[in-house]
Amino acid sequence: MSRSLKQVAVLLVALLCLDPHSRVSSAPICTHGPSGCHVPSLADLFDRVIQHSARMHSLSNDLHSEFEQYFLPSKNSIGKIYRKCHTSSILTPNGKENAQKLAREELTEVILKLLMAWRDPLFQLHQSMAHQQDFNSFSSNKALEMGDMAHELRKGVEKVAEKMRVLGMLGNSVTGLSAAETMLPISDSGEAMSNYELLYCFRRDSNKVQNYLKILKCRIVPEHDC
Amino acid sequence: MRNSGAVLILTFIAKLILQAAGVSPPGKPRLTSCRSPEKETFTCWWEPGGDGGLPTTYALYYHLENSETVYECPDYRTAGENSCYFNKNDTSLWVNYNITVVASNALGKNISDPVEVDVVYIVQPNTPENVKAVVVHDEQGPFVRVSWEKPRTADTRSGWITLIYQIRVKQEKDEKWEEYDAGMQKYYNVFSLHPDKECMVQVRCKPDHGFWSEWTQTTYVKMPNYIPRERSLWILITIFSIFIVLILTWTLNVKRNSMKLCLLPPVPGPKIKGFDKQLLKSGKTEDIFNTLVIQGFPPTTDYENLLVEYLEVYDNEEQELVLEGKELSEDFMKSKSSSDNDSGRGSCDSRTLLLEKCMDGREGSGSDQHQYSQHGETSWASTESSESQGAEPGSPESTDGRAKTWPVVFPQPHHHYPVGAVKPAYHSVPEILNQLSPHATPSNYHQLHHQDIPQQELRFSKSACRHSQSYNQFNLDGIDTPAPGVPPLPSLEYVEVQRVNPENMLLLRPLSDPNREPERSDCTGEDYSKVKVVTSHNILLLQRDTSHQCVDDYSQADQCTTQQPPHPCKPAVHQWNSVMPQEGMRVMGNGYVDSTVLMPSF
Repeated sequence: MSRSLKQVAVLLVALLCLDPHSRVSSAPICTHGPSGCHVPSLADLFDRVIQHSARMHSLSNDLHSEFEQYFLPSKNSIGKIYRKCHTSSILTPNGKENAQKLAREELTEVILKLLMAWRDPLFQLHQSMAHQQDFNSFSSNKALEMGDMAHELRKGVEKVAEKMRVLGMLGNSVTGLSAAETMLPISDSGEAMSNYELLYCFRRDSNKVQNYLKILKCRIVPEHDC
Repeated sequence: MRNSGAVLILTFIAKLILQAAGVSPPGKPRLTSCRSPEKETFTCWWEPGGDGGLPTTYALYYHLENSETVYECPDYRTAGENSCYFNKNDTSLWVNYNITVVASNALGKNISDPVEVDVVYIVQPNTPENVKAVVVHDEQGPFVRVSWEKPRTADTRSGWITLIYQIRVKQEKDEKWEEYDAGMQKYYNVFSLHPDKECMVQVRCKPDHGFWSEWTQTTYVKMPNYIPRERSLWILITIFSIFIVLILTWTLNVKRNSMKLCLLPPVPGPKIKGFDKQLLKSGKTEDIFNTLVIQGFPPTTDYENLLVEYLEVYDNEEQELVLEGKELSEDFMKSKSSSDNDSGRGSCDSRTLLLEKCMDGREGSGSDQHQYSQHGETSWASTESSESQGAEPGSPESTDGRAKTWPVVFPQPHHHYPVGAVKPAYHSVPEILNQLSPHATPSNYHQLHHQDIPQQELRFSKSACRHSQSYNQFNLDGIDTPAPGVPPLPSLEYVEVQRVNPENMLLLRPLSDPNREPERSDCTGEDYSKVKVVTSHNILLLQRDTSHQCVDDYSQADQCTTQQPPHPCKPAVHQWNSVMPQEGMRVMGNGYVDSTVLMPSF
């Protein structure tokens, strides 16, 4: 009996070893649909990222106009004294030519820097809006969503950059963004920026991000959208 | 001090002089709008505030945010009058421009309010270009394909600006434009256009954050006349409707009988209980009349209630008869089995009974002739048939079991009522009987009736018996000396009693005078009237029927027979007699309906 058992075990082991498919290898876990693993192309990634940034910008636009409507009694332009946005230290192209002159890597880096710079201030914005009774829950929810979106967008852009690097479109000059300065939204005068100023600055920066992403996309994956 | 004062005064005087002359410093200019067509350059326009009568110059100054350096507008001409054009080099995005306009003339200057502008948010592209609308013929029908191109200045290729387009369409004579969003594509297919009409198309565009451009010039396109499409639709509709019609027709055909019933309900024929139309067609009058004879007439169940209470005035013999009559009546009632609901059960089948009795030769009665008019519904209590029961004439209360009155309808206003005090139409039996009671001589009555009527007949004429009492009453009155209080009767006058249940009112109708026999023989039919309607109080309303000749006599058969054998109506009577079955059958004359309705159900 033991001998037969041994034989059977040997046979089984042999079968297992010989079967090429029995090798276990690491495979990417695809959580996509039944069509199997569908790896999104770079164009798809860009589209998703651009849509995300569009959504983020529209949110910031809405919040800013709400602020302007309800919390700024004076429409007087003279009264508007803007402090510098905390992201003004980041050099960003302020025109089309300037933006097109930048290399892809630099552009990508600028985008990531901007997004990184807004991670904490957006969180603070949401906190302060939630605490104040002036805002309705809808606005504070928008701020929260905005913060999440900025976070997601940054992750997405990082993935795009990763993809581009894999595809060889990006050099390795992209520095580690984790080392990006944790910029605190402190203006020159040292005071914390008000909610309105934060919103004003973020609205602008989100527009920059969206624009840069579009330029990047049309430069890297020109399709009929461009 | 003096100098400053003098200067002030001089200035003031100068101003006054200048105002008098009509010149003044310029009015305040105002920046109306700033626009950028492609997010690379922009232009600002202002409107002058009034030149004050002197040549005025305008200058635009700006400075960027967080910078104090003031620049002047680089280009006043490119964009036209009162404008300032910023070219690419001077345009910076995501930076606020603080712009002011200064108007100055010889007398002074005026500064406009500053305006903050961020170029990114003032983008208004130019209109789309090269709009084309073409009719495309498709198997489903033609449609219009509109195509266009982006405005030349917008750089969408590099992704710097993203435009979305909108098109609007209007057909001639329409008031409203139909707008369609085309997104970022540069073509659009317009369906739902009516054939053979001219259609106008316009396109515009907008950046993702900015203002809509102006509409393009109208492009015209004419739709062709496509009938085949509509024709196929009509063909479909026709086929469908034919199909439905076929189904309906088939359904109607299947259900034609019920449809017929529904649409043309059969007119109910005259419903005479027991009357068979077929017999009429066959032409056998005997059979017809046979069918009209009611089974179980006179009614038996309520017989007791209907009868007039027996008179107790009679002698032993009469009392015997009374008893017998009662028994007989009860038997009679029992013998009455099938009672026809339709037929009038007003009276007991007195006609039959009376005839029988009459046949046995009542000549002896002579003057006492009881005329029984059996009008359709008159169940008249002319059942003087023989049961000479000595019911008390004056006890017609229907509450008493014995006192029963037959419902009789004899509206005879014209008829001369023998009893003077009583009215022809309705009389209360008690009233009449009371009047007559003093004159009642039961013995005579007894003589008159009892001997004439065979025993067996008594059985059938239960009610008749009762009634006959009353009639006997009258008869007696008529025969014998009239009551003192009663005017002398010309002859035997018989009153047909009709009972009204609730008040125990006897509706009396005077019978025709036996002395007026000839008149009767004429079959005037005055004494008998056709029943017209039965009212709610069990009252039969008779109508005068003057058209009857011997037919009336038919109903007066009793009368005829009782009076004189040689009566012209005899044949009818004979016939009638022959028809007479054993049970209380009632023969109906023409137009006469059973008075069963009057009678309570048995």
